[in-house]
Amino acid sequence: MAFNFNWSPLTADEDFYRRARDLLTTALNKSPKPPIIVDDILVTEFNLGSVPPDLEILEIGDLAEDRFRGIFKMCYSGDAFLTLKTRVQANPLNTYLCSKPSFTSPQPLAAASGLTIPLQITLSEIKLSAFIIVVFSKQKGLTLVFRNDPLESLKVSSTFDSIQFVRDYLQKTIEVKLRDLMMDELPAIIHRLSLRLWCPDQAPKDEDEVKEDEKETALNPLNSPPLDPVDPSGHLLDPTEITSWTLDGSPEVQSLFSQKNLMRVTSLTGSRLTSSLVNPLMQDAMFRAWAGPSERLDATSTPVSTPGLTRTSSFFGNPHTYSFSDNDSQHYGLPARSSMVNLSQATAGLSLGSGRHSKAGRKKKNRVVNLRRKTSSEASSEAGESISETASVDAPASEPIMPIREEPEEEISATNKVRFRPSMDLLQTPRASVETKPLEASVPVPETKDTATPTAPIRLPETLAPTRISEKQQPTEDAKVPRRRPGPQSDTSSVIMEQAWIMKMAGEIARRVYEEKTRNPALWEERDDAPPPAYEAA
Amino acid sequence: MREFMHYITNAFYSASDWNEDNTYKELNATARELIDFPLPLGLRLSLSSLATPHFATSYHLGSVGIVDGSISYLYTSVPLRGVAARSDRIPLPALLRSYRELHDIGPRLADTRGGPGLFPLHLPSWLGRSTAAAPSLVNTAPAGDRGGKNKSQLLYGRLYLPQSLLEGLVIKRFSRSLQVQLSAVSQQSLRNGGTLLGLVQYDKGKYGIEGLASSDGGLLGIRGLYNFGGDASPLASAANPQSAAGGESSGGSSTGQTGERERERIYGRFSAGGELYYGTLNKSGGMSLGARFATLPTHRGTPLTATLTINPLMGNINATYAVLAKDYCSLATRMEFNVYSYESEWAVGMELWSNRRPAGFLLGALPNPETEIVATRPRIKERSFQAKMEWRLDDPEPEPEAGAEARPSEGKEKYLGVFKARLDQNLRIGLLWEGRIKSLIFSLGSGVDLHRLDEPFRSLGLDVQYSS
Repeated sequence: MAFNFNWSPLTADEDFYRRARDLLTTALNKSPKPPIIVDDILVTEFNLGSVPPDLEILEIGDLAEDRFRGIFKMCYSGDAFLTLKTRVQANPLNTYLCSKPSFTSPQPLAAASGLTIPLQITLSEIKLSAFIIVVFSKQKGLTLVFRNDPLESLKVSSTFDSIQFVRDYLQKTIEVKLRDLMMDELPAIIHRLSLRLWCPDQAPKDEDEVKEDEKETALNPLNSPPLDPVDPSGHLLDPTEITSWTLDGSPEVQSLFSQKNLMRVTSLTGSRLTSSLVNPLMQDAMFRAWAGPSERLDATSTPVSTPGLTRTSSFFGNPHTYSFSDNDSQHYGLPARSSMVNLSQATAGLSLGSGRHSKAGRKKKNRVVNLRRKTSSEASSEAGESISETASVDAPASEPIMPIREEPEEEISATNKVRFRPSMDLLQTPRASVETKPLEASVPVPETKDTATPTAPIRLPETLAPTRISEKQQPTEDAKVPRRRPGPQSDTSSVIMEQAWIMKMAGEIARRVYEEKTRNPALWEERDDAPPPAYEAA
Repeated sequence: MREFMHYITNAFYSASDWNEDNTYKELNATARELIDFPLPLGLRLSLSSLATPHFATSYHLGSVGIVDGSISYLYTSVPLRGVAARSDRIPLPALLRSYRELHDIGPRLADTRGGPGLFPLHLPSWLGRSTAAAPSLVNTAPAGDRGGKNKSQLLYGRLYLPQSLLEGLVIKRFSRSLQVQLSAVSQQSLRNGGTLLGLVQYDKGKYGIEGLASSDGGLLGIRGLYNFGGDASPLASAANPQSAAGGESSGGSSTGQTGERERERIYGRFSAGGELYYGTLNKSGGMSLGARFATLPTHRGTPLTATLTINPLMGNINATYAVLAKDYCSLATRMEFNVYSYESEWAVGMELWSNRRPAGFLLGALPNPETEIVATRPRIKERSFQAKMEWRLDDPEPEPEAGAEARPSEGKEKYLGVFKARLDQNLRIGLLWEGRIKSLIFSLGSGVDLHRLDEPFRSLGLDVQYSS
């Protein structure tokens, strides 16, 4: 499975840049500055550029309505740039004295007098390459960790470019600082922001979260009216009210919603200097979580655990389009779907006797398998925990927990189809009823993903099988997204995982992935695909 | 307020006949102390004692959020007999006064130093005599002068307790004009566990040179000060022995036509110097040039000090002007300008002495008219307007000198407190009120920021010092 996201809507939003600049400015001035910097650091220009980063899903360790854990590989070499302004102390003796005890100070009379110089620094040609571990839990927020040093190279141009010594010094210093920032500060910032953004929605129970909710409202004055009702409704209102509300203004509401989400995510991205690839991922995870609950309400036939998964998968397709631009998804998503449908059908017929739906799911699975093979083949041999993780990774989309455990071994064998079939059979009955009836579009959605996957930089394991989407749901898919928000609250309580466990798993997976990559980089390189058409369209 | 140990160190300098002001580092000390006086922060108690003439201890207890303290010990090979160490006897100007009169550079120029009475301990002579301290110091000096002048040394150590910060200072005198200082700080948080600064001072009176080396960054530095004009000029030095021997009274007795004419005009000493630093490890350096004109104690007009320092590397120009407008009022201004960045700064400072009791102290209070009458300032007698217009002195009056001699016999102290204030271009005001209550010397200070009138008091502190 893959999903596309549009880079340009992110970057075309003036308001986003303004807030990103504010966030960056406050973040840069928070920590005590070295004595050489004598003024506040102002972010005067910030642009994400037009080239999107490549984001590749290496592994999804855990996937559920309210949590997500995955490893991504991110490569970026775009035209984003950042301009800072500040004033620096040009007298080395002055800065030298600042950090020394006064008792042994040589006490120069005037040799240490200051000369402050305005300095403008532009960071451009940022090249990033990193493995990112994302752990998301509705209750614990988002944890994002770089497994390696993400900064590959960076061009620093400043007012002092004509002076070789100063330029070299700045280049070196800023690189070091940026590395520290991304490795240490950024995860903390993102975690804090995520708590602010998501926790209020999910957990009205906790007092803290209520507070956070308040903060959020205060912090995001830009929230469009629909959002505010949603959050409180999520806490307090009945799903019926929500549904009615969503039904009424479903498309518009969705658009608003997605934009808002975008804004939040963008703010997250803004908090770090690098591109915002991780955040879109987070959005998807959020969508699943939201989708899960809402669908669960609808789906009663499958076992308790399965419905959530299936729905998540179904939504998964949708959200990727939603999150970035509603229009885009609608415009080119539909035509794509038709073609995709055909492909999917054909492949399905070839590969499996099972229904289209199952095939579609399998195709996705196949892709997953590819990803996994590389990662999981070695990983599987390792500790039992890893197996369980891989299993969970594979299973989450299409199958309930129960099948998952069986699958991992199968996966190791390298054939996903086999595993899925049983589960598919279970699911088929509902799906078949739904799918046959529903528009082709329902099927196409996953298919589009399939086609996109090869090209799209972002890949998701197809763990998510296309869920049965009721006819009602499809037209209102967009509308559902908002619904799901409220839903997750109830669901989350049931599905909460321990953060510690997640972290542990994430660490292990990351380690394996890294090892794998180090062993045979060729495999990994193969996966780098050209950016999906979606980018160009955007 | 100078710390007790600082006061003792000054006493050591004077006892060992070392002119600590004859160095480029102290070029603009007057303006610096008038403008950049430190404000106490929080509550701080000091308990000090000069237990024996050779040994002093001091304990500090401070509370700024957290309680911290320090213990310091000082040993000097020169007996500091007669130094007023009791807090009810210490002359306040020695601790509090900012305006520094120039020391006489005569003694080291002319070996025959008549009287040690020149030792001013930062006091204008007409002030310093006012208490029992001065005469006692006068008595002390000869002992130190003769006994340990060439081999005198001072050891000082201070331990800050919660921070585990250790300071050490060794001052050793090798010859009449050569002195070595070694100061060190040891703390775990510092790189390499601490820093060490070595200072070699060579003072020839007419010029003083310092070389320094720091273990931090491998900093090397040299700075020097050269005096000319006034008493340092050949003419004056010719007359110097006499004036030095005569002390202040020499001012009244004419030393010759040229000298007389010099003294009629603004009579002072020019000093020029420079400093140069280079960090061998971080390959950075710095330098500055400076000049000063300061009136000599024998000047009859208003004492003033003007300095100009230039940092050619950084384009910084710094000019200060300090004046002792009245003996109870000192004013100072400072202007800074950077020719590269066009940044400028200014600051003004003021110091007002009061002879009233601290409780009755009011801003700008004039000395009690009664004492005004009693203590007719002998040396700072105002010249008549006519005399000024004619650019000459009034007719010599020998009487005031006699009055000055009589002053030390006055039992009571002239001033009981001092009020200091400063203002800079950021409209930040520093207020400091220091004085003596019974046998406690206190210092109450506050910083005010006029830009934030909602909460103008940025800091508040009280410093209480007792010594025995």
